[in-house]
Amino acid sequence: MLRLIANSLLRRRWQSLATILGVALGAGLLLAVFLLYHGFEQGLERGRQRLGADLLVVPGNATVDPDRALFAGSPLSVYMDKKYADEARKIPGVRRVEAQFFTQSLKLECCSVGTESRLIGIEDKVTQRLAGMSANGREKLEPDEVIIGSELLGDVSKPGSLIELLGYIFRLGYRLEPTGTALDYSILMPIDSARDLAAKSDALKPVWQDAGDPHDLISALLIEVDDPSRIKEIGRKLEDLGPLKVIRAADTFQRLKRLMNAFVFVLAAAGVLTAIGGVVYLLGHFSSVAWDRKGEWALYRALGATKPRMVQLVVGESVALALGGAVIGLPLGYGLYRLAFTQLSAQNSFPFVAPGVALLVAGAAGALLLYGFIGFLSAAAPALRVAQLEPALTMAQGDID
Amino acid sequence: MSAQPKILLEAENVSRSYGTETILDNVSLQVRAGEVTTIVGPSGSGKTTLLALLALLLEPSSGTIRVAGRDAGKLSDAERSHLRNTFYGFVFQTAQLIGSLSVLDNVLLPALLAGKAREKRVVARELLDRLGLSARADFLPHQLSLGQKRRVALARALLLRPAVILADEPTNDLDARRAAQVADFLLGLPADGYALVLVTHDTQLAERAGNRWHIHEGKLTPPVRVTAVPTIRHEKFVLQTTNNETQ
Repeated sequence: MLRLIANSLLRRRWQSLATILGVALGAGLLLAVFLLYHGFEQGLERGRQRLGADLLVVPGNATVDPDRALFAGSPLSVYMDKKYADEARKIPGVRRVEAQFFTQSLKLECCSVGTESRLIGIEDKVTQRLAGMSANGREKLEPDEVIIGSELLGDVSKPGSLIELLGYIFRLGYRLEPTGTALDYSILMPIDSARDLAAKSDALKPVWQDAGDPHDLISALLIEVDDPSRIKEIGRKLEDLGPLKVIRAADTFQRLKRLMNAFVFVLAAAGVLTAIGGVVYLLGHFSSVAWDRKGEWALYRALGATKPRMVQLVVGESVALALGGAVIGLPLGYGLYRLAFTQLSAQNSFPFVAPGVALLVAGAAGALLLYGFIGFLSAAAPALRVAQLEPALTMAQGDID
Repeated sequence: MSAQPKILLEAENVSRSYGTETILDNVSLQVRAGEVTTIVGPSGSGKTTLLALLALLLEPSSGTIRVAGRDAGKLSDAERSHLRNTFYGFVFQTAQLIGSLSVLDNVLLPALLAGKAREKRVVARELLDRLGLSARADFLPHQLSLGQKRRVALARALLLRPAVILADEPTNDLDARRAAQVADFLLGLPADGYALVLVTHDTQLAERAGNRWHIHEGKLTPPVRVTAVPTIRHEKFVLQTTNNETQ
């Protein structure tokens, strides 16, 4: 039977090729949509985990996009006095305050990372929280140790490896898991080490002349509250501390989530329509095949093919075309996804985490199963019609091409 | 008195109608092992319909078809399909070869449909050899002449060693030499134990085959015996009906 199916498909090679390509485009789009959806979902979740805060406090003169600051880890190159951290800790209802210090953007000479890398100083509490997000994470860093983002210095992975930053030697603590944000292109170090480095930088001297000694400055505060219902109230108290801008994570998260839901809806609709399109396309193809090839089917019936065998032959062709298309479509879909991923990574404007191999395999297997089922579904009705063909038709027909 | 050959196929009072039009009217016929049964008649007389009924390709409007003693009307589709696959060998009016399959695979088609192509490969090659087509085994049908195609169809009909060969106008469209070759092969089959049912309007073939049943406007007339050799052949002068020839 397999030989008959293969021969039939090869005999109509252009027709088969067109069908396979049609299915391939659909399957590819579906896989790309699936991977992007999961990438966004994971990215948002990872962003939320990484943030671990209800409020983000930045200097009042900072022109910052809350989405980028909260979920994409966008750097803040403005500074405020570090006293605000201590004052924030005194506000009733504040559970945790973490300060960050943005040193400067770096251009790495060794690698093409598609974007600039950032040097950020973090407190020990941040180090501890980040440690929980990485398999080999450590809860404390030595002054000369750094954590590097997943997309940086790909050839340096062994803890203890030496890295030169702005003329100074540091040791690699560990590498972060991908987050799909600017954090993937960031170098993190103890906040005091970052301030020292910034203070020694000739390029940044004009900045410190305006802003003051970097050892007394911070770029942002991440604040967690005891009672989420008091976020607004605490936010107002923080604004009262001085010229500060307070961004509520929950609001931003909800807005981003709504945006993502809308985006995912469009992607999912595209995927579903593609799958339906595949069914309609194959159904049309096999409806026409049932009619065009009735002479051949009738001959098979006359020579002893049972009705179930006829159904197997027709459905087998359809499933073979659908699976063939899906197999070709999967690499196309992966390529499309990689293209979108590269674009998104370069923008760093939306949280995105590249799905792992397991999800990729699951997506590919799911697409194969789905298209196998679509192939079956599309040919079922035509196959049943073919099975009902009168074998006597064969007595009245000419040669079969 | 010698024993009668076994009856393989029997039509009893079989009629077939399409709407109000009666194509076959109360036809009875027996096909025995090792014998030729020739059905002759003009176009549209119902001979192909009769063949289709005997082959279980059609169901009669009334009457009974018996295959090896079993009432075909009581068989399931799977049983009828199995009989078409193994009990019958078909030679259609046109060769009806599948264009994408090689000559060998076309011969193997009944086995491919039954899922036993591998075990019949040697038989298929032997049949092609017997029919002078072994050098063409890997050709595609469009690379064959009309006569070669017909011989491939013959090989296909014989592949599963059926009991009954049904041939519908097997020499149709062939030139005299090719027609004679096909006829020689077909008419040699009963000697190997096959029952041959031959539908033809080729008078030469019908004369050679013998045991001629005439069909006209759906009615079947039993075989006749030629009682005089005419100088001008025309049925109204030469035929005298008897009922002995099938006995």
